Amino acid sequence: MKALLNKEFKLCLHPTIFIYLALVLMLLIPSYPYLVSCFFVCNAIFFVFQNARENGDSMYTAMLPVSKTQTVKARGLFVVIVQMIDIVLMAGMCALSLVAMPGFNSGGTDHSLTLLAFALILFTIFNLIFLPSFYKNGYKAGTAFIKGAIGVWIWIVVAEGLMIASGAMMMNGANVPFFRFLAEKLDCFPKTSEAWTAQGILFGTAAVIYALGTWLAVRLSVKHYERVDVQ
Amino acid sequence: MKILEIQNLRKQYPGFLLDNVSFDVEEGSIMGFIGRNGAGKTTTIKSVLNLVHADGGTVRFLGKDLWASEAASKKQIGLVLGEFNYYKRKKLKAIAAVTKGFYEDWDDAAYEGLMKRFSLDPEKKINELSQGMRVKFALALALSHRARLLILDEPTSGLDPVSRDELLDIFRSIIEDGEHSILFSTHIISDLEKCADYITYIKGGKILVSTDADSFKGAYRLVSGEAEQLSRYRDRLIGFRGHAFGFTGLMRAEDAVRAEDLKVAPADMESIMIYTEKEDGHESAAE
Repeated sequence: MKALLNKEFKLCLHPTIFIYLALVLMLLIPSYPYLVSCFFVCNAIFFVFQNARENGDSMYTAMLPVSKTQTVKARGLFVVIVQMIDIVLMAGMCALSLVAMPGFNSGGTDHSLTLLAFALILFTIFNLIFLPSFYKNGYKAGTAFIKGAIGVWIWIVVAEGLMIASGAMMMNGANVPFFRFLAEKLDCFPKTSEAWTAQGILFGTAAVIYALGTWLAVRLSVKHYERVDVQ
Repeated sequence: MKILEIQNLRKQYPGFLLDNVSFDVEEGSIMGFIGRNGAGKTTTIKSVLNLVHADGGTVRFLGKDLWASEAASKKQIGLVLGEFNYYKRKKLKAIAAVTKGFYEDWDDAAYEGLMKRFSLDPEKKINELSQGMRVKFALALALSHRARLLILDEPTSGLDPVSRDELLDIFRSIIEDGEHSILFSTHIISDLEKCADYITYIKGGKILVSTDADSFKGAYRLVSGEAEQLSRYRDRLIGFRGHAFGFTGLMRAEDAVRAEDLKVAPADMESIMIYTEKEDGHESAAE
């Protein structure tokens, strides 16, 4: 696994991944749907798969003393590492936002654990769609990415839409308990113990969903790729 | 001892069937795997190594099911599928460094020796190498982890005659200890004349013959005669070519013994393959 992971970083990694990871700076844009920055990370992952395909990675790897299962698991681990780097960078941006841009984000989810939880769910959706779809044939990265991107954008619209709606309702004095809870406990940098608890539970749940979802995505991918003839 | 045993290997594609392919590779030998383009050589090799899934059959490597112990078996197999065409913008040293990580038995001295012998610059990128140099790089990687079995698919294609000869010397030296073996697929038959101990001949997805090189050549004779003799021997000729002074063709050795009025000569592997491939049409257009 170590050798395969080394291959992913030394041979398959596409340099644009650093540019896309740097787009985490979008979290410093005032009034913006910050989950969009996660879409670019998905885009970066797609470029890695495409780059590997164009370089004949599947044939090179098939000639090495590794099984197809190990090959898929290593690529899955690589994806997880990239996504975790993004989550850590996002957490850093959230902390920085306390100083750099205090105030309410009218464009979507505020800098918060909720934002990180939503990002984890976004990555889970992407992994569950993109990885098994790609490994059905091992080369149609574009098709797999379009399917994954549709899932990701639906989630961005739903998640950010909910937060925009809750903020708008609060500003207009509407007192719907669900939206009130979203606005006061989830859609804010957690400063009260109730907010920390609510967001902590949400983040923990999202982390479990991410772990289980990505495990399932890799498992399905392995199942698909075992049937593929490497030509 | 048999290092590789292939039994009833089957793979069906639309328009092509690899039909119950069976042959063995002995320890300390070079097996030449010959056949025309599209005969099934690469499909056989890819099926053996589980790159494509066979529809049936068994492959045993050093007595163990190769597919069941794929990763462990592949550590002892050096594989070259033509030229090295992967990661074309990466330097040779970067690719070698990654490849090395997969083999506990990687031999740095052997790798560096081969790089020097093949005049390969580790600072160069794959896309800066000629076709022949890419083949040499693939061979350098395959020969550097002390593989017990080398499986080489068209390893000499694209190489100049001097390099090919040099490579054949390397192959002979590899098997000298009696523990290493080479399965060598090619359509450059003259290379096999120089180094193969055994020959397996595949045609249209079926194995025609798998035997030692001397028996393979000894089973056939090249015959030539005048045009009026052709009708008398036509049924016994495996394939023939007509020309202005008569014909030249291939016959089984036992048939050639009884063809006393024809000129009979030993058959070389290339002629055996050429005339056998003419078998269906018997004679191609007047060459």
